[in-house]
Amino acid sequence: MRWLLMWLLMTAQPVHAEFNPQSVVMNCLICHDSEKNSSSGEVPDLAGLTSAELHQALLDFKYDRRFATLMPRIAKGYSDAEIQAVADWLSQ
Amino acid sequence: MDRRHFLKFSAAGGALLTGCAPFQVKDTKAHVVVIGGGFGGATAAKTLRLLDANLKITLIEPKTQYVTCPGSNWLFAGITNLTQLSVDYRTLQVQYDIDLVTQSVATIERNIRQIRLTNGDSIGYDRLILSPGITFKWDAIAGYSAEIAAIFPHAWQAGLQTRILAQQLQAMPQGGVVLIVAPPDPYRCPPGPYERASMMACWIKQHNPRAKILILDSKRSFSKQRLFEAGWRANYGYGTANSLIEWHSLADNSINELHKASKTVISEFGDRFTGDVLNIIPAQMAANLAMHAGLTNPHGWCDINPLTSQSVEDDCIHVIGDAAQFTPMPKSAFAANSQAKACAMAVFNLIHQQPMSEPHWINTCYSLIAPEQGISVVGVYRLDDEKRRIIAVEGAGGVSHAFEEQISRSEAGYARSVYQNLIKNSFG
Repeated sequence: MRWLLMWLLMTAQPVHAEFNPQSVVMNCLICHDSEKNSSSGEVPDLAGLTSAELHQALLDFKYDRRFATLMPRIAKGYSDAEIQAVADWLSQ
Repeated sequence: MDRRHFLKFSAAGGALLTGCAPFQVKDTKAHVVVIGGGFGGATAAKTLRLLDANLKITLIEPKTQYVTCPGSNWLFAGITNLTQLSVDYRTLQVQYDIDLVTQSVATIERNIRQIRLTNGDSIGYDRLILSPGITFKWDAIAGYSAEIAAIFPHAWQAGLQTRILAQQLQAMPQGGVVLIVAPPDPYRCPPGPYERASMMACWIKQHNPRAKILILDSKRSFSKQRLFEAGWRANYGYGTANSLIEWHSLADNSINELHKASKTVISEFGDRFTGDVLNIIPAQMAANLAMHAGLTNPHGWCDINPLTSQSVEDDCIHVIGDAAQFTPMPKSAFAANSQAKACAMAVFNLIHQQPMSEPHWINTCYSLIAPEQGISVVGVYRLDDEKRRIIAVEGAGGVSHAFEEQISRSEAGYARSVYQNLIKNSFG
């Protein structure tokens, strides 16, 4: 019954949710430090990278033009427009 | 977004939000309470503070120190210790202005939006983020219990049991047998039992090379299986008569009994396995607190609306982490961190009556085969077109390209580095 009600509620009203690059960027920062990180030195930090550099790197990962163990598997999850927005947000 | 669109979204959002009107009058601080100081709860509290300087945020966690499950298998290879795996909540308190309550929760009084602590105090909330973790289905294996687990540790909540199990491994007679009873899906950390076998094999290869690790699995296959098996072949003689690791699938014939005096586990059809060290990892479900609050489904997990992570049972309660059903995301610390961020954004938008933004999640799990050999699995997740179901994005994600020397060495380095950043990102 509860499921039926939920279903009715959800089908009756379209659910709106806008793309917000911040909600992707927050996931980047699980592995990548946003500050200059001299200590660990394994996963690159993202400090000081320009939007153009980030955009190019992410597209190169997505289209397998640049090798990495993991990033190509992640970059393929986003449209080119989303990647642009993520690069812009990250560089701010 | 222009103003017309903003208003349209606000109106749509507002219509969905009415179930949980704030108690406080406008202009006073809303109060968000987070229960559970693991990766989900800590990240939710921290992210909320980053989004909103004015909210009152309380984190309730009975322990002053938390031993992370990620990395805890590395203890069996002797490459970490409990001190290195421990975090506390000081940074969240001091730098992020989170009110820390070091108490256990007795009950959640949903009708009056109040939490009753075991010391008798009560705490009211406008919104509750519940990240309570797991408990075990003790009745799934006759003869096994929370008390017996002190002798035959599950070590699936890292801490003292992890150390006991490592000591048992080290004290095992030459040529001894370790039994790892692997749980049925879904459970915390799908690759965990196999990484544990790898790390134990790494230790016995050096110190007890005639010993053997038997994984008794209620599943037909397991996470990153091809990579694990390739790594075991390369390091531990897997597939040969002298293999340090054997994997036995006991699908439809699960281990359901422990005979503790003879250190024997028995399957449904009566197959018996005797070992020197028994690591029994039982089937799991959401922590008792979630069940007692009436937030669990018949399988013992908390169903949520993935757009907001609100419980389907209560609009004012958001559930994240291992206790919640974010299928197809696996139950992991990384996933809990990712869920906590999406949840914090939803809570922020709900409190401020702002339009919802589309949640995005990622999971990454590294496992070590040997100290310098790592493998990984990745998933990228978002909502389907109707915004009701979580889907793994097609064409993205997947496991390491191959178990190959150079890649696995890189991934071992990344495993350690990502662990360190995950801690920093979650706890401060």
